[in-house]
Amino acid sequence: MDNSFLSGYDTSPGVWDEMFAAAGIRGHYRNFVSAIENLSAAEMSHKDELAKKLFMSQGITFTVYSSGEGVEKIFPFDIIPRIIQAAEWSTIEAGIKQRLKALNIFLRDVYHEQFIIKDGIIPAKLIYSCPNFLREMMHVDIPHDIYTHISGIDLIRDSDGTYYVLEDNLRTPSGVSYMLENRSITYRIFPSLLPRNKVRSVKHYPDLLLRNLLALANRSTSNPNVVLLTPGIYNSAYFEHTTLARLMGIELVEGRDLVVDNHFVYMKTTRGLQKVDVIYRRVDDDFIDPLVFRPDSMLGVPGIYWAYRKGNVAIINAMGNGVADDKAVYAYVPDMIKYYLNEEPILKNVPTYRLEIPGNQQLVFDKMDQMVIKKTNESGGYGMLIGSAATEKEMDDFKTAIRNDPRSFIAQPIISLSAAPCYINGRLQPRRVDLRPYALYGPDGIDIVPGGLTRVALKEGSLVVNSSQGGGSKDTWVVDE
Amino acid sequence: MLSRVADAVFWMARYMERTNGLLRVIRTNYIASQDEVKDFSWQTILEVYGNLKPEAVAEMAHQSARALECLVIDKENPSSVIHNIRFARENARAVQDHITKEVWQCLNDFYHLVRDEHLQELLRFGDPVSAMDLLNKQGMTYYGVVDTTMSRSEDFCFLNIGKYLERAILTADILQIKLRELQGEEANTESPGWRYLLYSLAGYEWYLKNNRGNIQTPLVLRQVLYDMHFPHAIAYCLGQVNRYAERLRPFALPETFRQTEFIIGKVMSDIKYSTTDLSDLAALDQLFQDIKNNCYHIGNSFNQLYFGNS
Repeated sequence: MDNSFLSGYDTSPGVWDEMFAAAGIRGHYRNFVSAIENLSAAEMSHKDELAKKLFMSQGITFTVYSSGEGVEKIFPFDIIPRIIQAAEWSTIEAGIKQRLKALNIFLRDVYHEQFIIKDGIIPAKLIYSCPNFLREMMHVDIPHDIYTHISGIDLIRDSDGTYYVLEDNLRTPSGVSYMLENRSITYRIFPSLLPRNKVRSVKHYPDLLLRNLLALANRSTSNPNVVLLTPGIYNSAYFEHTTLARLMGIELVEGRDLVVDNHFVYMKTTRGLQKVDVIYRRVDDDFIDPLVFRPDSMLGVPGIYWAYRKGNVAIINAMGNGVADDKAVYAYVPDMIKYYLNEEPILKNVPTYRLEIPGNQQLVFDKMDQMVIKKTNESGGYGMLIGSAATEKEMDDFKTAIRNDPRSFIAQPIISLSAAPCYINGRLQPRRVDLRPYALYGPDGIDIVPGGLTRVALKEGSLVVNSSQGGGSKDTWVVDE
Repeated sequence: MLSRVADAVFWMARYMERTNGLLRVIRTNYIASQDEVKDFSWQTILEVYGNLKPEAVAEMAHQSARALECLVIDKENPSSVIHNIRFARENARAVQDHITKEVWQCLNDFYHLVRDEHLQELLRFGDPVSAMDLLNKQGMTYYGVVDTTMSRSEDFCFLNIGKYLERAILTADILQIKLRELQGEEANTESPGWRYLLYSLAGYEWYLKNNRGNIQTPLVLRQVLYDMHFPHAIAYCLGQVNRYAERLRPFALPETFRQTEFIIGKVMSDIKYSTTDLSDLAALDQLFQDIKNNCYHIGNSFNQLYFGNS
């Protein structure tokens, strides 16, 4: 521990550190630390530089269009991997599978018989007031009753190391290409460390996804045509769309490439129209069909909703999933697990106050400095207030907004988020992290590739990990130890 | 394949061909500007590729540094090298899953190279030839990467049709520029201008091998228009367009194929049975213009029949 960049690492009290316990370096990090502790500061900086160069030259960038010509930015990458023990991982895996099973049954139920409302588990008002509940999905039968084919479940750890589910992303979760790219960068900057640590592989993700997509096609089609629908090159996740399409060997299409004729979907090719059977779409519900949803959408395909409803095309993820990842509905997920599965939740929920319940409002206003207030239908770190860092003015603004529209807000106690070591300015420094594993739900069950994307709040002391708010990411290892 | 993808691959190739051709022209002209005794002028090139008002052209015509800046790194000029590279890359971005990763990375590197501060400084204040050599080399890498990594399927055909069509247009363009530059002088005498033309088409050595060192206008024109062994000759380029269009037969609808085959065949015989009479410069200029129009016509037919645009 006398090395310049390892020494002087301060763990802050009341924050769980992924690498350091009170007694020193945690077991599952020891292998990795022993491999890098003898590297000079110059070598470490060189690796850091190399990583940046690799991202730039491979075009792994997102583009910010501000002044006509886009500015290329790389999604900040920290070279120190986040390491998770296999035992811990199996709990996470079981917890996510359980949760997804319940959420999927919930979606099927809420768009069909609505037993959960009739039995008084979830108030009808909560469901019908959710902007992402789509009446258009009522009594629509979809292949294998699977709604949440691809989901990203955000996990955080409190000061005692307990995992909590922070959010379920069931619509079009992004970031999985960074999980794949981060891994491929790691083996370039730390040669032979991956096999030596027996890190579990993630590169079969595209294969699993393609297998599921093919399985969702109508069974009378022998060679189904699977496509990925992207909003186009100006979308910030465009790099991810091309990467996934390439890795699966499927066609990447834009809305203008597709047409609907007689309730079948076709793509325009150099030799005329060709039928499309399965669409992995990265276009939001609102924009997918201008005839049914937003009429001003240029990204969608007119008529696709009816083709979907008739079962002539499979759409992944299903439409209308937003009702299940609404932040107020989130509070009921543990109840769903008990109701549908008759099981105790394996992963905990963060305690959540629905602000439309009158008593809750005063409770939250009284200790607003210890609360996070979130808008129920926003994501990406927008529409959020962290009480401990907010000014009086901001708090008052939120109070007014909450009084005007209490359904749209929830409050949660501030969870302090665990910290992981990052290589910043030539030394290791703790930064807060979360974890987003990606789960694939197919006709044969749920698969979760080991690890996922670890997002980092790169600003010192910050609790916001979203890339739109100055966050970065790390490679995530699951190791048998 | 998707019509949109075919369209983007076609245009990616065209922008890249234009980038590489233009770089060679600018490089040759810069060198000419340095070693010519009489006053060298950028005027004709700036008129064609500068996108400038006549006053601005007149002002820049004798200032090599400013002309270079305008032609290579001026983002406002839609004919500049940087603009062409940017659009090649934008097209490539939209079809990243169809071109190979190597081709995409090569274009991406090209884009970052031409925007690089050091390179731009080298071009402005240092040795512009070194800067252009760096760019040229990246262009050559592009050809190599395309050749060694792209599969020989439908996209490869569209890519090559775009490439050779653009090359034919560029050759006709350069011929036209040269002819206008020589206007007033006697175009049929030996002139250093024709040597520079051969340089900018990478055809000087080939000319010397075949013609024992005498630069004679009719011989130059014969090579640049009709020589099937010279890769920048218009007849050669159209032959390649025809070859790759032919390879689309199994992928195309019969009617689409028949129509483009007809148009290309007609254009090829127009070239084959053309004549170059140096005593009538206006007719010669018209011939080059006709060649360009014919190429645009081929491009438009692909646009309608294969890419589904109207």
